[in-house]
Amino acid sequence: MAAPNKILPGFSASMWMQTGATPTALSTANLSVWTAQVATIVGTSANGTGASGTGLNVEAIPAFGQDDAVASFGVAGSRQSDKIPTQSAPTSLTITAPWNPSDAALLLIRGDAYSGTIDRTFVIAATDSTTTIAYAFNGRVSEFKIDAAPGAEAKAVFTIHPRGNQYGWSNT
Amino acid sequence: MKLSEAIDVLSKTYQSLDAVALGLQVDAKEVQAALAKAKPDTAEFVALTVLAKYNPSIQETKTKEIINDNTDQFK
Repeated sequence: MAAPNKILPGFSASMWMQTGATPTALSTANLSVWTAQVATIVGTSANGTGASGTGLNVEAIPAFGQDDAVASFGVAGSRQSDKIPTQSAPTSLTITAPWNPSDAALLLIRGDAYSGTIDRTFVIAATDSTTTIAYAFNGRVSEFKIDAAPGAEAKAVFTIHPRGNQYGWSNT
Repeated sequence: MKLSEAIDVLSKTYQSLDAVALGLQVDAKEVQAALAKAKPDTAEFVALTVLAKYNPSIQETKTKEIINDNTDQFK
């Protein structure tokens, strides 16, 4: 029951996803539970068990967490409007991955994007030695584009939109 | 509502835990007792934490009321 206790470099984060064409996403409460829940999606290299998950090879982990959300009220003649923070949505992630047309994880992503209605649990795990902190969320894949420009390796670009409220933090 | 039923609902829902917990009225003392026994890093613990937020247990504190008695004072 410990999270990493140091400033982590960016490359310590890795991305994982549930396997199976029609997975059963974790419930909201279980997204905050590491043992036997989130750990089953995260691979052994990030201190999970990886029984029902696979790693997603991505170029970099994009910014993850929550968006900003405020309700603003202005009154004529008043110097400053009132900004009231509200419950904000988990942020959408646009991810670039090197494109291997036979990569099992990318084929699942391609299938999800084609469907548009498959809810899958994704996990971003940041690891330091034996300690890991995990951000788990349920999301649907929207964009799936292949950038096959001749000047570089082919890239698959896709966007995961988290479902509202369905995310949680947990640690080893 | 029984506490076990409320925990079951919260453990399985895909909705906001806060929004669901608002509609689940349970005995606050039962929640506190169960929370004390629950293991962290379980769905039950997560559910009980949210239930405790919306069903706070109010501690009864008994205080002696002191009434000033000035009848023995001679004026």
